[in-house]
Amino acid sequence: LQELADELALVDVIEDKLKGEMMDLQHGGLFLRTPKIVADKDYSCTANSKVVVVTAGARQQEGESRLNLVQRNVNIFKFIIPNIVKYSPNCIILVVSNPVDILTYVAWKLSGFPRNRVIGSGCNLDSARFRYLMGERLNLHPSSCHGWVIGEHGDSSVPVWSGVNVAGVSLKNLNPDMGTDKDKENWKEVHKQVVESAYEVIKLKGYTSWAIGMSVADLVETILKNLRKVHPVSTMVQGMHGVKDEVFLSIPCVLSSSGLSDVVKMTLKSDEEEQLRKSADTLWGIQKELKL
Amino acid sequence: MMDLQHGSLFLKTPTIVADTGYAVTAGSRIVIVTAGVRQQEGESRLNLVQRNVNIFKHIIPQIVKHSPNCILVVVSNPVDIMTYVTWKLSGLPKHRVIGSGCNLDSARFRYLMAEKLSVHPTSFHGWILGEHGDSSVPVWSGANVAGVNLQTLNPDIGTDQDKEGWKETHKMVVDSAYEVIKLKGYTNWAIGMSVADLTESLTKNLSRIHPVSTMVKGMYGINEDVYLSLPCVLNNSGVSSVINMTLNAEEVAKLKKSADTLWGIQKDLKDL
Repeated sequence: LQELADELALVDVIEDKLKGEMMDLQHGGLFLRTPKIVADKDYSCTANSKVVVVTAGARQQEGESRLNLVQRNVNIFKFIIPNIVKYSPNCIILVVSNPVDILTYVAWKLSGFPRNRVIGSGCNLDSARFRYLMGERLNLHPSSCHGWVIGEHGDSSVPVWSGVNVAGVSLKNLNPDMGTDKDKENWKEVHKQVVESAYEVIKLKGYTSWAIGMSVADLVETILKNLRKVHPVSTMVQGMHGVKDEVFLSIPCVLSSSGLSDVVKMTLKSDEEEQLRKSADTLWGIQKELKL
Repeated sequence: MMDLQHGSLFLKTPTIVADTGYAVTAGSRIVIVTAGVRQQEGESRLNLVQRNVNIFKHIIPQIVKHSPNCILVVVSNPVDIMTYVTWKLSGLPKHRVIGSGCNLDSARFRYLMAEKLSVHPTSFHGWILGEHGDSSVPVWSGANVAGVNLQTLNPDIGTDQDKEGWKETHKMVVDSAYEVIKLKGYTNWAIGMSVADLTESLTKNLSRIHPVSTMVKGMYGINEDVYLSLPCVLNNSGVSSVINMTLNAEEVAKLKKSADTLWGIQKDLKDL
């Protein structure tokens, strides 16, 4: 619906639902500028894609954490990723399936692609949710509220309080207790709500679709239009912020038509870096057990 | 509501609210009604009538109470009858009660015809009017690309003698919804986009023409209070005028037949 591509290919294993979705989208053709919409369970219909978005896999049940989905989704990826690479050897793979940081690592390993062409949707949505909640508190549109949530897309994501600002005015300078337990304004609650967002929506309607869809479209737009915008997405962070293992975590990245072209080195406080390293350790603990 | 709100950064709709109580809708310019039971696999739209009439008896008065100056867009099926019901229950003037009608049928028709001709749907012009459902009327005399009339090129178009089989395209439009429902259980994308298209004309005061369901008494020899889709000019007052399309005798007869079928059902509805 964001009219980013001139051709859209859908692949799934449930053939009826897949065909139904394709037809329903095609019937809206008059209102779209995406002239070709195809769908098949065979990957040949995806040949020569510029960007491939992978959302496949098992999703969280009510109350289930993302890390629990790992092994099931690794097995699904063992089938999917080589098929994608076979038909679109030059594409950029955007991984959305959870747990996204681990699965982006898995996709990177299984595809053999260079690290600039395997990106995880990561904390793009967490940061969008944070900015939405911040906007509600301050009575502003989210696009005027600046704040970054990085690290693991999940329970241990890291809100970078030092960077939170409106029109360049740092909120932490105005309220030095921001994000701590002493904070009278209780900004920590905002981050807590971000972490719980997905669980809450899943509890209410069974799944999340709108916000994650819009946030991925946002990333695809930057890539296809070569915008070089900075997004918090999941990339290989070995060697940064004291991380020693091959793990994927979200940090601010410059995205362009070649995928991930640069990374923004954030000046983090020691406790923020500590949290990132802890996430990295948790993720590596799981990754090293995976059979790839 | 929450899922949509979480996407606020990417939207230009700053206030998204939701509630089971209608007070939250107060002061609306447009109210879109999609509520009601939907078709099961193989079920026709007309079968849903009485169940949906009962639901509307609860919904419509509440909408009007909180937004007495709104324009009502009815999507629930069978849309032509439900638009009539809405008009009766709301007491609003007929230009402010519109049914999504054949806007989607025409969009599907233009998509399918354009695929056959390898052009974008916006470059193929064709209208489907009348009942949104099994007896919709494809106006072959109007079908054209860049003003080139298809019926002039192929006088058999839409008939059983047509070697190119264009009648099949209309049949596919009629079967579309059933097919998608059979495959994925419901339809949402295309109908959503087509209603957004109508809303755009209404809120931006565009005066574009859309095939939507409106009160057609007095036109084409129809003498009852029925709603059918005809080309209507839509702007911020609602339906500002209706285009008197030149239809041939057969097309007029089909419209009249739809009108009779719909009136047959409407006259038995209780307590409107």
